Amino acid sequence: MKMTQIENILWHVAEDVLGKLAFMFSYPDDSTGDEEETGEEPVLSYVSFKGPFEGSLLMLVSPMILPELAGNMLGLDDDEKASEEEQFDALKELINVICGNLLPKIAGKQAIFKVGVPEVCKKDANPLADTLAKISLMIEDEKCELGLYVPGRVPPELADLLKNGE
Amino acid sequence: MVINVLVVDDSSVMRTMIIKTMKMSGLPVGTIHQAANGKEGLELLRQNWIDLVIADINMPVMNGEEMIDEILAHPETRDVSIIVISTEGSDTRIERLQHKGAAFVHKPFTPENIRDMVIKIMDLGNSDENDTD
Repeated sequence: MKMTQIENILWHVAEDVLGKLAFMFSYPDDSTGDEEETGEEPVLSYVSFKGPFEGSLLMLVSPMILPELAGNMLGLDDDEKASEEEQFDALKELINVICGNLLPKIAGKQAIFKVGVPEVCKKDANPLADTLAKISLMIEDEKCELGLYVPGRVPPELADLLKNGE
Repeated sequence: MVINVLVVDDSSVMRTMIIKTMKMSGLPVGTIHQAANGKEGLELLRQNWIDLVIADINMPVMNGEEMIDEILAHPETRDVSIIVISTEGSDTRIERLQHKGAAFVHKPFTPENIRDMVIKIMDLGNSDENDTD
């Protein structure tokens, strides 16, 4: 899978945070996207930020992984199940940490961003359609997509990162 | 000596993670209070004897930096130990917090990151001496 540098950074940040925060392994999703839908509507979470440039980080994830995600973060035993509120809270914290770790890697360590409060909501028609960078990964065999949305002109800090990376 | 702790984070999941980490750290932890924003945190700080504040930065109502400024502005709370646990990646902002006397732990963290930082800023000595049942 050919990725731009910014997508490559996003991938590494997401993989690192998923491993350390939720003890979940992830790997690139090489599927074509033509597979049959599983019937489970993905959950959309997002967090906005303002600083040298502004935008949002969006995450579309299968609801199937939410119980394990929350259970791992909360340290629940196998016979315990996180509530829906805890599952959504875990997802919000996950995207918050991914965003917080991504921004200094793409904008530099001197840049100051104000990161907003993460939200979880119903999926829009195609929330990742206009994103500047988008990656698709598998978490415990469930699909997850992450997209960085930056409205308007590409900020100069990001221009070089839109070239192909690895 | 036991350490009474105040955990301030708008994420209930993160508060639970930090509280579990503290309880499993082997440190002499006493009462652990929790708050969802800086304003609630200040109220608890004024009502209870607290030795250590563990706080996030980005929170609604009152953020962590504003809360720290309030803590430092009052003689009765200015000596409390403060650890900021945040995703903050800006060196500028981290240095600003450190100049205010707060220690910094980056998210995602390991339990050892928090334990070692508590030992360091509370001057608890060799970590091996703090292993308790």
